[in-house]
Amino acid sequence: MTQRREQEDVGSFEEVMLPHLDAAHNLARWLLRNDQDAQDVVQEAYLRAFKSFAGFHGSNGRAWLLTIVRNTSYTLLKKNRAVDLTTTFDEEIHVAGHESVSPATILEHSEDAELIKEAMDELPSEFREILALRHQEGLSYKEISEIAQIPPGTVMSRLARARAKLKEYLAARMSK
Amino acid sequence: MTCDEAIKLMDGYLDGELDPIANQTIEQHLRECQKCDEAYKTHSALIRSIGKATPYYKAPSGLRERIQASLREEIAERSPRSVSRNIPSLFPSLIQSKQSERRAVLFGTQWNWLALAAAIVLAAIIAFNLAPRLRRPGADQFLATQLIASHVRSLMANHLTDVASSDQHTVKPWLDAKLDFAPVVVDLSSEGFPLVGGRLDYLDNRPVAALVYQRRKHFINLFVWPAESGSVSADKRITRQGYQLLHWVDSDFNYWAVSDVSDNDLQAFKQVFEKQLPRR
Repeated sequence: MTQRREQEDVGSFEEVMLPHLDAAHNLARWLLRNDQDAQDVVQEAYLRAFKSFAGFHGSNGRAWLLTIVRNTSYTLLKKNRAVDLTTTFDEEIHVAGHESVSPATILEHSEDAELIKEAMDELPSEFREILALRHQEGLSYKEISEIAQIPPGTVMSRLARARAKLKEYLAARMSK
Repeated sequence: MTCDEAIKLMDGYLDGELDPIANQTIEQHLRECQKCDEAYKTHSALIRSIGKATPYYKAPSGLRERIQASLREEIAERSPRSVSRNIPSLFPSLIQSKQSERRAVLFGTQWNWLALAAAIVLAAIIAFNLAPRLRRPGADQFLATQLIASHVRSLMANHLTDVASSDQHTVKPWLDAKLDFAPVVVDLSSEGFPLVGGRLDYLDNRPVAALVYQRRKHFINLFVWPAESGSVSADKRITRQGYQLLHWVDSDFNYWAVSDVSDNDLQAFKQVFEKQLPRR
């Protein structure tokens, strides 16, 4: 009987959480920058989510799941790539030679997916995640603050810095 | 509004996340200042275009099946444990077996079967009581490590509180809005443990509430999350790396207090905390 109840639990868990699989994978992939790691982390995150699903009473399944995906991603990032995280708040990463690129030129290239991908991948993880959450998932500042575990007031400033940095990196690639 | 202020708010305006008054102020500024208006137009066009063109990594085929398979594996592994979970429902059969014992005496049959049933029930009860204890030490040590790390991090990274307030009526709604449970928040200033604020933390694979209290110059992090129903356990005291940890469970919540105050202080803290809990 317990077996059947647990199967029903899995059923309702899947019904609520599997629709967010693409969102989960997209976030993990941007954070980890590697296909295999992203898949492993998403699988692990779903398992963790299932184990604590009894504690989920909210209505925002996507934000709840993405929080777990994010935490699981950082566990792996911290373990494997201490280097990646040290650059996080290094705002002084030197990007030379982009001063001559005008906003109009950047705009011309702003639909170049490959170029954007390369520039995004250069950003620190905090910037990659906030850009993915806002630009791709269209999440509100409030949802982002919950997922990234930062105060709501920090979301706007971090997003602004992430966008400025991304523009800078795009310009740097164009002037090469 | 100055141009600097307008630029600071530009991203919030672009995202439609400003309050109505800030919205109006920035709109007025953009009407009046051509330079900012142009900067805004370029910025928003660029951000929208970049947002649309950013590659979206959909889950590859097969990942869904992998996840579903791992979930089924998880419940398959659980089922041996689920036997011990069912123990409470065995108690009725114990009562029943007493009744049948009487019948058995009357009819003078089947003693062996009763003895066997009693032995099984007894073994199950022992297993049920022992199993959690056998499992605990390792898990507790691991959790203790996480708790101390969280405590140290909160003091080091200048991130003691997300919401800094000694008013329990400010801290509690803030936490309630961010968690899937509603922790009890009480100020203990009158008892010498003023409330400093609250914070979200992540422990034991779940978001938890961290209430921050002060004892003289020292801070106490009180981590709170819902207790599993029916979990009963004695208070636990752990001393590690110069930190004191005190754990207790009430009908609703798991509590872990972590601090560098003395063990006595932490015990006193627990007592006044419990005394201040609203009666339920």
